[in-house]
Amino acid sequence: MSEAEGAPEVVPDHEPEPSLATTGLTKAFGGVTALDSATVTFHHGKVNALIGPNGSGKTTFFNCVTGMIRPDAGRVAYRGRDLTGRPSHRIARAGIGRSFQLCRVFPRMTVLDNLLAAVRPRSLAGQLARAGGREETERARGWLARMGIEHLERAEARQLSWGQQKLLELAGVLMSEPELILLDEPAGGVNPALIDRICDLVRELNAEGRTFLIVEHNMDMVMSLSDHVVVFDCGRPIAQGPPSLIQSDERVLGAYLGV
Amino acid sequence: MRRDSDTLSSVPFPRRGLLHLGVLLAAVAVAVSFPSMAPSPYEITVGIAILNYAVLSTSWNFVGGFTGYISLGHGAFAGLGAYGTGLLVVEAELPPFVALFVAGALVAVLAVPVGYAALRVRGASFVIVSIALVLVLLLVFQSWASFTGGSRGLVVPRPFPGMLRAEHHRTFYFLFLALLATALLVWWAIDRSRFGMGLKAIREDEDKAQSLGTPTYTYKLVVFVVSAAFTALAGGLYALWFGDLDPVFQFSILSGSYMVLMALLGGVRHLYGPLLGAVAVGYALEYAKVEYGDTPLHLVVAGLLLGVVVTFMPDGVIPAVGALLGRFRDSGGTSIREVTAAELRGRREQSEGTEVRDGERSGRSA
Amino acid sequence: MPSASLVFQSVVLGVLLGGLYALLAAGLTLYFGVMRVVMIAHSAFLILAAYLAWYAHRETGIDPLLTLFVTVPLFFAAGVAMQRLLLTRLRPATLTMMSVLLTFSVALVIEGLLGYVFSGTQRRIRLGYSSSSIEFFGARVAVVKLIAFGMAALALLGLYVLMKHSRFGQALRATIQHREAAQLLGIDTDRIAGYGFGLGLATAAVGGTALSLDTTIYPSLHWHWIGPLMAIIVVGGLGSVPGAAIAAMTLGMLQSLLQLELSTTWAQTVFYVALFVTLAVRPQGFFGGRLAQRF
Repeated sequence: MSEAEGAPEVVPDHEPEPSLATTGLTKAFGGVTALDSATVTFHHGKVNALIGPNGSGKTTFFNCVTGMIRPDAGRVAYRGRDLTGRPSHRIARAGIGRSFQLCRVFPRMTVLDNLLAAVRPRSLAGQLARAGGREETERARGWLARMGIEHLERAEARQLSWGQQKLLELAGVLMSEPELILLDEPAGGVNPALIDRICDLVRELNAEGRTFLIVEHNMDMVMSLSDHVVVFDCGRPIAQGPPSLIQSDERVLGAYLGV
Repeated sequence: MRRDSDTLSSVPFPRRGLLHLGVLLAAVAVAVSFPSMAPSPYEITVGIAILNYAVLSTSWNFVGGFTGYISLGHGAFAGLGAYGTGLLVVEAELPPFVALFVAGALVAVLAVPVGYAALRVRGASFVIVSIALVLVLLLVFQSWASFTGGSRGLVVPRPFPGMLRAEHHRTFYFLFLALLATALLVWWAIDRSRFGMGLKAIREDEDKAQSLGTPTYTYKLVVFVVSAAFTALAGGLYALWFGDLDPVFQFSILSGSYMVLMALLGGVRHLYGPLLGAVAVGYALEYAKVEYGDTPLHLVVAGLLLGVVVTFMPDGVIPAVGALLGRFRDSGGTSIREVTAAELRGRREQSEGTEVRDGERSGRSA
Repeated sequence: MPSASLVFQSVVLGVLLGGLYALLAAGLTLYFGVMRVVMIAHSAFLILAAYLAWYAHRETGIDPLLTLFVTVPLFFAAGVAMQRLLLTRLRPATLTMMSVLLTFSVALVIEGLLGYVFSGTQRRIRLGYSSSSIEFFGARVAVVKLIAFGMAALALLGLYVLMKHSRFGQALRATIQHREAAQLLGIDTDRIAGYGFGLGLATAAVGGTALSLDTTIYPSLHWHWIGPLMAIIVVGGLGSVPGAAIAAMTLGMLQSLLQLELSTTWAQTVFYVALFVTLAVRPQGFFGGRLAQRF
């Protein structure tokens, strides 16, 4: 289990710079409290992981911080900027990209168009300009090549295999130029070789300056990949710290026992 | 062994472009020379009716084609454009073509609150609002007789008073043709723009599009307003040409459903889809009117046709035929799907592949 | 200013009308619940049932109410068939939009066939008790309206008992609330959805027969019903039967009261005003609408 090459072992003698942070985030569905006043901070420039048993509120947390659902109470901030209750496209434009638990691509668009659709023009003229100009096509091809699916650029996304769709989804997220990338179960339903591949990509992209927040059940992946782990149970964090500490935390073991 | 995975591109690009250009020029030539070839003014009126349908269904396709939101009430915007133009000419005594554009602008403004109510919640409420809009406007325009003429109708004076009937038809034929060309041009421009890419992303997966930063609600609203404005212009031009408006025909749920039928039949993802659908359905409608008069069987045929298209060819006839031709052309070879499947197998052997197959993926659409 | 007795009369008529709206809206809610389908043809089937009642009465002289024994099972079967044979063919991704088109086309076919078979002439059933009315605290209420309300109330009650107290009702509610979970419990959700659809269409049979008692019918009448009904289910909150019932009563009463001051057509616009206001202000509906944000 190798640590990320090049990233020096961080000794937390100073406070790490906060990335995404929530205070008192609460969400209930009917009578079920999915998030119970969750206060948690993730670290900028790091690979953060969010783990916890099924139903502990991880996906609800993702959906709340990305604006897919509106929290009942609490605040969401990204690098000091308040994002509470913003619609999801605003949050995306603040620099937060996400993947979905059951990978979502635009099924009847070509692979290349899937990436071009993630371009975010800032001006009115930019919106009306032709999609797929030289610069953005080159950039899109660059991401596809990095994912190893550049030869499929003209295929419709729905024709791709599950693993290829996962890579395509990640490429689409990257195309939208996020600083912080939220991955919801990137290893879900993926074979071991591809998991290694995704891990390598995450390490590389992190080394290039992107922050990650990963929800994952694959503990090997979490422990090998992440710098900072937050453990959820019953809709709130019960432990956080570097993976080595989390692995021996009794509360974490307790939460996972019987799972 | 591996071939280019896109069959469409099997024709080299420049030749495809030339082919397109050739077909386009031929179509334009036929459309422009039609009035001088027509044996009588009646044929020109049929041509106008078909062009009117073509403008309407192309306008409808701004919303239906790009975003996938089906409006059954676009007849309301056509009716508002018609009555707006007529009333501005009759009551405000504006020059006819000023009235036309003012009416178009007014309908665009009105489309904003309608779109606000219709598009805020996704899915069914859009259709409900679109139908409700036609029904409520029909009630209002029938009841408010002192202003709209009610069921007695509204007579719109002719814009070119001295003109003979044949010349009148000929002029309007070209006006409708110009409006159609404009609508097609705008649709084409949006189709290739980043805005259009965002709209198509909404059609595919609205949540996903928004999570990538597309302001989905604003995009939908903008294209809805554009669509309403073009529909209103078509309605207004119709009012100036036909000269007599009746709420029952102007605010008819049936005219809205014809737009849907034409666009779906031709194929909503294609620039010329609604136009081709309009030619086919419009011609059939006019033919049936002459041969069989106004019978309730029109409804039955329209309903059956719509049902068949929705059930068996939701992408339209053009793509269905295209797929059929593609299979024919490819017979003996491999289809796109098979190539990719073979590729996947190859890639899986290089341990790049998958564990989860299509069956398990289907749970995704909620 | 209308007199107090006139207002009271309107309130009573509004309640009677609201009952019929409530039954029909319950049917629409059922379709939406089991399939997320807005069933445009609901009111076309309503008019079809009314025509069948009128036709049976004209040909044989039997009481229109007796046609229920035929139309209710017939419509139930038609609903099951429609769900199983037509709606399940549509792609899940575009089901909401395409199902609207499909049910819309069914409505066109029914309207066209009614016009072809029975012509566009307005029809009305004349019964021995058509013109009789009873006094009710100073309000005059036509007996046929009372019968219609009674039928709607009975059918709604039956629906309620079936939903709450039968195994089928439990399965149906489970399917509506959480299809996947219901499947895990071993419920054949496809079959249940079919029965739910049949049940919805059966309400149209009851409603149509009730309607035929005191209304002049013609083929395109269904457009006057589908608009208000859709408004009711939106105001009540899509997918909520009690919400639809409350909205039906409220709007039915409002319509009836507005008719005191305005013409019948203007009074009908209250439904559309309510629809637009609801969607602009509170899109999930005013009385329930748990499903509204999920479709």
